[in-house]
Amino acid sequence: MEATADYAAERKYDFDVVRWFTIMAVVYLVVGAAVGVYIASELAWPFLNFDNPYISFGRLRPVHTNAVIFAFGGCTLMGTAFYTVQRTCGVSLWSNRLAWFTFWGWNAIIVLAVITLPLGLTQSKEYAELEWPIDILIAVVWLAFTFNFIMTIANRKTSHIYVSNWFFLGMMVMIVYLHVVNSLSIPVGLMKSYSLFSGVQDAMIQWWWGHNAVGFYLTAGFLGIMYYFVPKQANRPIYSYRLSVIHFWALMFGYVWLGAHHLQYTALPDWTGSLGAAVSLAMIIPSWGGAVNGMMTLSGAWDKLRTDYVLRFLIIALAFYAMSTFEGPVMSLKTVNALSHYTDWTIGHVHSGALGWVAGISIGAIYHLMTRLWHTEMWSEKLVNVHFWTATIGTVIYVVAMWVSGIMQGLMWRAYDEYGTLAYTFVESVAAMHPYYAMRAVGGGIFLLGAIIMLFNVLMTVLKSATAGSLREARGMPAVAVA
Amino acid sequence: MSSLADYFETDWAAMTASDWVGTLLTVVIFVLMGVAYFQVFRPKNRDKLEAKKHIPFEDDHEDLGENDG
Repeated sequence: MEATADYAAERKYDFDVVRWFTIMAVVYLVVGAAVGVYIASELAWPFLNFDNPYISFGRLRPVHTNAVIFAFGGCTLMGTAFYTVQRTCGVSLWSNRLAWFTFWGWNAIIVLAVITLPLGLTQSKEYAELEWPIDILIAVVWLAFTFNFIMTIANRKTSHIYVSNWFFLGMMVMIVYLHVVNSLSIPVGLMKSYSLFSGVQDAMIQWWWGHNAVGFYLTAGFLGIMYYFVPKQANRPIYSYRLSVIHFWALMFGYVWLGAHHLQYTALPDWTGSLGAAVSLAMIIPSWGGAVNGMMTLSGAWDKLRTDYVLRFLIIALAFYAMSTFEGPVMSLKTVNALSHYTDWTIGHVHSGALGWVAGISIGAIYHLMTRLWHTEMWSEKLVNVHFWTATIGTVIYVVAMWVSGIMQGLMWRAYDEYGTLAYTFVESVAAMHPYYAMRAVGGGIFLLGAIIMLFNVLMTVLKSATAGSLREARGMPAVAVA
Repeated sequence: MSSLADYFETDWAAMTASDWVGTLLTVVIFVLMGVAYFQVFRPKNRDKLEAKKHIPFEDDHEDLGENDG
């Protein structure tokens, strides 16, 4: 039934662009993780900078973040959004050509990022480093993506818009608004501009963007993936549709308030940080509601986790989602923030969400798509399992290393003796970090190994499909023969 | 901070137009959130909403011509 339904879908929908987004997502996962491991190694063993500015930590760090967030995450979101909107609305894309424009435009942006960031061409705004001409290109491509998605929904055959599309749409609308406002700047050259905002307003706008990039891009978008792919992979409907509706509206309402919690103890008015922290705590409720909703979809069928390695990725991702959406609000509290801010604890928290949640749910969705889009089983199920364990173990090593080093860092910075003098110099705290920085590089390396295994397995699956002609068969089989 | 009343004290006369727009928007959205919770968890709406959870599986049947709707 499932295979024949996929054959019918192959002829009905526009899947070529989804296939390309899927492959590029895996390529960018390897590239982004490889750069991440390299810069983590630079922090542990600084000689790796080789006194070369183009590969120094400061220049490669935005290459890493842009590659994993916008290249890997973006291709995953665009591929899965174009796939799920067609399958849940019962129609092909409003414009296949516009979808291809989105694919080539987004990849051109990634190439431009890889060229400009090592050259030091940057607006110096975290997660929004790219210079103004590239920012304009991002806005154009993102609007094309959004418009095509909206028009496909408008043409739908179903009366109701399934909840995964709501999450995708929430992400799309909010990212247009956030990206355009945060990127407002005055160009003084082709690759140089100054932000329209200054001082504390600039900081507030930046973190309004920064945290909402987490909330709407890295959370809402990937929840759209979760609400479609977890039920499909488990072959069971979502546990509670009503909970998913509340999850959506609470997320949309709550997330926009949180940015100020990144600016505790700064020149920002005190109440804004308190408000950010209060709403952050309130956000635990919908976030956990969503995580429980996803996990409870397996209620009565937990045994599937023994044999379904793809489902393992999806469910462990939800566990990390629950963990990081608890940890984040705790870290936003002023008392905790006084210890955690500016330390590696933040890096550990971010990677718990990025590696555990975002990458986990993406990888699960991509493996699901591989079998549906190439109409064959994975080349090696065992390698999917190996990937699951390398990704999980690598993430845990990374996160634990950063937790330990971050808390130690915070404690060393605030320790003082009986004369009120600081007990440690900053350099002493840096030296104390070394074993944990090495441990982080090892954890990242294990995660990277898993990503390389995935790329190999994915490419071999495509080759297997091409050799067996399964995709051609799916495209060419007449509808009457399917039934 | 001696009391909660002090903490929430506001100089209403100093509120700018932007402050009022923000305040009213927040209150309206907050009320709408309350309405959403009420509607979603109202027992009467349960079956109607929960029926939507099957949408991802409907296209499998529809693509095979099994959907008579």
